Amino acid sequence: MTENETGGGATGTESAPMVLEMRGVTKTFGPVVANDGISLSLHRGEVLGLLGENGAGKSTLMKILYGLYAPDSGEIFIDGEKVEIRDPKDAVRRGVGMVHQHFTLIPPLTVAENIVLGAEPRRGVSLDLNRAARATEELSERYGLRVNPRARVADLSVGEQQRVEILKALYREARILVLDEPTAVLTPQEAEDLFGVLKELVADGLSIIFITHKLGELLGVSDNITVIRDGKVVDTVRTATTDEGALARLMVGREVLLQAERDAHAGKASGEPRLEAEDLVVRSGTGAVAVRGVSLAVRSGEILAVAGVDGNGQTELAEALAGVRKAEGGRVSLDGEDVTGLGAEDRRRRGLAYVPEDRASKGLVQDFTLAENNALKTYEEPPFSSKWGWIHPKAMRKKAAENLRAFDVRPANPDARAASLSGGNQQKAILARELSGDPGVIVASQPTRGVDVGAIEFIHRQLLEQRSEGKAILLISLELEEVRSLADRIIVLHAGEIAGEVTPEATDEELGLLMAGGKSGGSS
Amino acid sequence: MNPRRMLGDAVGALLFPIIAILIAFIIGAIIVLATGNNPLVAYAALLDGAFGSKLSLGRTLLNTTPLIFTGLAVAFAFRAGLFNIGGEGQLFIGAITAAGLGAALGGLGPLTILLALAACALTGFLWGALPGYLKARFGAHEVITTIMLNFIAINLATYLALNPLRGKGIVPGTGDIDPSSLIPPIGLGFGQANYGILLALFAAVVAYLLLWRTKLGFRIRAVGLSPGAAGYAGMRIGANTVLALAIGGAFAALGGGVEVLGVYGKMTIPFVSNLGFNGIGVALLGRNHPFGVVLGALLFGGLASGAQQMQFATDVPLDLADVLLAVILLFVTATKLVELIVGKRARALAGDTRLEKGLGS
Repeated sequence: MTENETGGGATGTESAPMVLEMRGVTKTFGPVVANDGISLSLHRGEVLGLLGENGAGKSTLMKILYGLYAPDSGEIFIDGEKVEIRDPKDAVRRGVGMVHQHFTLIPPLTVAENIVLGAEPRRGVSLDLNRAARATEELSERYGLRVNPRARVADLSVGEQQRVEILKALYREARILVLDEPTAVLTPQEAEDLFGVLKELVADGLSIIFITHKLGELLGVSDNITVIRDGKVVDTVRTATTDEGALARLMVGREVLLQAERDAHAGKASGEPRLEAEDLVVRSGTGAVAVRGVSLAVRSGEILAVAGVDGNGQTELAEALAGVRKAEGGRVSLDGEDVTGLGAEDRRRRGLAYVPEDRASKGLVQDFTLAENNALKTYEEPPFSSKWGWIHPKAMRKKAAENLRAFDVRPANPDARAASLSGGNQQKAILARELSGDPGVIVASQPTRGVDVGAIEFIHRQLLEQRSEGKAILLISLELEEVRSLADRIIVLHAGEIAGEVTPEATDEELGLLMAGGKSGGSS
Repeated sequence: MNPRRMLGDAVGALLFPIIAILIAFIIGAIIVLATGNNPLVAYAALLDGAFGSKLSLGRTLLNTTPLIFTGLAVAFAFRAGLFNIGGEGQLFIGAITAAGLGAALGGLGPLTILLALAACALTGFLWGALPGYLKARFGAHEVITTIMLNFIAINLATYLALNPLRGKGIVPGTGDIDPSSLIPPIGLGFGQANYGILLALFAAVVAYLLLWRTKLGFRIRAVGLSPGAAGYAGMRIGANTVLALAIGGAFAALGGGVEVLGVYGKMTIPFVSNLGFNGIGVALLGRNHPFGVVLGALLFGGLASGAQQMQFATDVPLDLADVLLAVILLFVTATKLVELIVGKRARALAGDTRLEKGLGS
């Protein structure tokens, strides 16, 4: 690998002064080396992409920069001065701002209150809210971060909440802004807006570290890209001189297929519906009606994708189909049998596999071993248990070892605790459990959310293989690329209703319009 | 898992409580010094009084027995993610059951013991199921309900012992149980120690097998560690809540029954106190593992009998034992505090290696 760091470039950022340099940063957790001598540099007005698989060490590195972890060794320089960052307060004082993937806003408070929280302007002993609102307005105008300072955060869309997070960092005079997977929760249009804002910010002299696993968007937005693999910097490349294939290779360490080979696994849609929903109405945990009369049918040998912006009823739809949430109205049937009144366990026995979107807290018992997790749904069946209620840990371990190997889970150690695995490997472990039972119907909710490219590829292949074996698959996804490359048909969910049905050939604009609630132009 | 690694894990799991115990004894030594006594003499007497002779060992075992039962009551429920503060009341329910039934069935000999203990388990099970049901059905928090039920149980048992079940003796309480129907002493110079300790150890093994070798235990542990994942896997959270608290109640009640049938021969009023509450400390010290509970109960029991000897040998009051226990528990639960004192390395060691892993699967 070559170092392409220096030399005047088209963007001109390399000649700008260096604002941040991390040198030889090493961090270990017990036997695990999360960061192994990582060095990177960030110049004034630069957008640096930080790319790496899940578990590669990106988050650890950024947590060190933000003072959440102390490095074992290594140095950090800000504006050429060696600094020691002990806690986030230190980081903020040094001009480092961070926008976490999961927002840290207080929903009942207003935008302005959230922004000034912890650094409130005061008048005497009382909070000067007018000044807070004015400061917010000023910042939001300057950078095109449109948001109403007096609105309650609870009433904002996800995209707006993200803007508030960015404003929060700017209000604290951040000069270095770290964005952790910022587009994961946005619609394509919102993501475009964000990229526009980032351009304004760097034009004003800020420097940005942009963490993502989406190769494509990094190419559009960054100046340089540092790729991390297994805790080490593999290479730092100029964005202008690279492409998706090269980046994916750096990131995974081998060739990957970016487009799932949908057509190579030609589906055998036999037309016989296996999973059906009729006028399904489902309430969310808060009691609001989240799914409003959805009807759909998934046939043998096809992948039906449900697209849409997060929070439009996808979760509740999947849960109601899987039987973990009661339907308020309507019907669910499996292979023609009405299963509306049956629970998750009975539906599983009838051949329904379910990959929940929240793998960490719903898919796995984190403190169970992989062997126990593998038997989480089938522990009452032979060979895992016998009559009299005894279970057989040995049989659980043996079956888990087989499944883990077959699904390339690393480490393939049945005695390892689920919590010790990376996100991608956890997801593979769930797939191993769900698919090894040879189900007829698969409901997969965001199966690749937050997992690395290597695991995404593997999961896509598994789903396509299942399809070619004649399984009926319902795929819920927020990633349009994924939906397009896997689905035979796409329905778009908006506000709990089906906004329309399109083919995988539909354009971003068509899909975006449906996701925003516009009815489709007759293609359904 | 190979035996060597199992051993390593078990040592790792014990390390943390041992550090806590050491720190507590150092603090205790300072207190002893402050009272004008020699800590070495005091601790020698403490050790001697706890394990120094057959007689003192017998006393320690006698103290340990009910604490194993009440510790299991807390630990078992904790595995399902529940805090059972009701051990005290559950123990009283078991005691009155054993006392009443033991006196009534006095003529049956050893069969009485069996029947009385089975009845204890049943009444304790039902008494424990009550807060479980209140939680599963109405969402009432088990900490509140088990505490409240303690008062009800203690007063109910006291009322029964002093009124309908009152015996003739001078000491207020239930009628005497026929000596042939009592749990026999071990003898062999162990003083008052009786075979109840074997029952307690057996109960710990049963708790272990239930948790790690049965479908029920698998469910309870899954629900305890992750209600979300357990629910998604089709397990019924409510039913497991009821069962876990009920089984915990049965353990505590057996402790009460063994006290009555092994030590007192009847339920005297006032009856023993704080065994149920000390069970919480025992479970904490034993990291909610049945075998850890046995060790924790042994420490509690040993300190109680050793403190008496210490009071004889020096001017150090009995209360020092309570101080030591309190400090030990403080350090066992306040992990950050130990981290401050001995450094993060030890903390990491203790955190990664958990007792249930070492002694489990």
